[in-house]
Amino acid sequence: MAEARPLIAEARGAGAARTALLRAFLWIGVGFTLLPLAIVIVYSFSSVAYGVFPPPGFSLRWYANLWAQAAFRGAFLRSLTVGVVATAAALAAGLLCALALVRSAFRGREMLRAFLLSPIVMPKIVLGVGWFIFFARLNMQGGLVPLILAHTIIVLPFVVTILAANLVGLDPSLEEAAQDLGASPAVTLWRVVLPQIRGGLLVSGLLAFIVSFDQVESSIFLVRGENNTLPIEMFLYMEKWQDPTIAALSTLLIAFAGALVAIVALAARGTDVRRLLPR
Amino acid sequence: MRIEGRTALLLLTPALGLMAVLYVVPLAVYLVNGLHAFRDGRIVPVWTLETTRRFFADPFSYRVIWASLRLSFIVTALTLGIGYPLAYALHTRVARPGARVVTGLLLFSPLVVSVVVRTYGWLILLADRGLVNTLLRQAGLIQAPLGLLFNLTGVVVSLTHILLPFAVFPIYSVLSRLDWTLAEAARDLGADWQQVFVRITLPQSMPGVVAASLICFTLSLSAFVTPQLLGGGRVQVLPLDVYNSTVEINWPEGAVAATVLLVLSLAAVWTLGRALRLVSAA
Repeated sequence: MAEARPLIAEARGAGAARTALLRAFLWIGVGFTLLPLAIVIVYSFSSVAYGVFPPPGFSLRWYANLWAQAAFRGAFLRSLTVGVVATAAALAAGLLCALALVRSAFRGREMLRAFLLSPIVMPKIVLGVGWFIFFARLNMQGGLVPLILAHTIIVLPFVVTILAANLVGLDPSLEEAAQDLGASPAVTLWRVVLPQIRGGLLVSGLLAFIVSFDQVESSIFLVRGENNTLPIEMFLYMEKWQDPTIAALSTLLIAFAGALVAIVALAARGTDVRRLLPR
Repeated sequence: MRIEGRTALLLLTPALGLMAVLYVVPLAVYLVNGLHAFRDGRIVPVWTLETTRRFFADPFSYRVIWASLRLSFIVTALTLGIGYPLAYALHTRVARPGARVVTGLLLFSPLVVSVVVRTYGWLILLADRGLVNTLLRQAGLIQAPLGLLFNLTGVVVSLTHILLPFAVFPIYSVLSRLDWTLAEAARDLGADWQQVFVRITLPQSMPGVVAASLICFTLSLSAFVTPQLLGGGRVQVLPLDVYNSTVEINWPEGAVAATVLLVLSLAAVWTLGRALRLVSAA
């Protein structure tokens, strides 16, 4: 671990009161951030269906109720499939695209980059209705294919930004050396470039999966019951009922997200994740 | 390895192909509906401005646009107002790098959990007999529960929570790259901390503030889950208008509302993008 550095108290002459105040604010901020997640976990063990604080007693009945609802299990597996396939597709297309953006200069490159990033600021509901009409015209309704295609577009900009930032930091002389020694461009990409951007691939893959796993309004018109994804199943359930079944499911999802982040953090050890921040 | 023109084009093909077919075409196919008519519960595919005219003649449309803009302004102001001191405290008042990383991760941790889950958390917290109302009542501050749900208050609180990491992150990133010797020099020359903050630190960190505003404003403008679940029908914003029109099969009217939403988003991106270039150059 790096050395602790002295506090920057507006550069020296720290007011102890100001430092205490700022630190207290930081604690409150962390509390505010974690509170909604913490309360969901507490409520998942509540003994009653109605929301009251503190819960009058504790039970596991909402977990039992959740287990009895096959719809959530199916939706979870569908979200998993859509997330993994869309992430893989976006990583493949995004890597090639980021290589071209970083390693070649052509007219209109910045405009192209802006276009590729634009789905981030595009209102998802507008895209969602667009896909609904588009896939209906093609008679491609239901199933997972429209969802996978739609999610690929939604996560592609995140993959392109992170991989491009990662590629900018690479030392080109390594690739030149490989090519001088007779490696083909494909071999150079596979054996020299990819190992160096492992961190970028892992982080952008994780982000892409999380973003895909969280789509509601972009996908709500692409599902028709039989192919509901998990967030949509939860959203529709919450429009009707508000018992702690959703809290039990949310608690499992919080654990799932924590495990996912831990696995990726472990796999990305030794890579300089700070370099991935776009400047 | 440098990449030449033709190879670059080849590498761009998969991404651009996907974007053309699955992004440009669906948007176009949808938005042209705004130029069609909707009569007697059916879409009439003639080219006309009648739907657009009707939208802008209806006072309800202006209420929806105003509600969207107001929500975005309030949420952006709150996320900046809370996010800036948090980023500032994290960078200047936490000395140990390990503690900084852990606190930073805690602040960003909600991002990995679905918006639906986070909104649900606020649904429990803000309920009449939920934590917030119960604590306020026990403290003797209120007699009857405050109606915090199914109105603007609930949506604002929840959306501020959801977008807070997007404000902390860019501001922290700029603060951590700042050259603090300037502040130190000002300090040596006798400036007090308010002067140092207002005249040196804040102007230097403006790129982070503008970037944070851009993200928070556009994301609150297009927020859907939170206004739908916590607004109780009282927070009628553009994304809900688009959703409801689509449910009623009134694609033309939805397309006009969608176009307005799109134009507002792009206007915000353009304005704040220019502001970002200005403050970055300064």
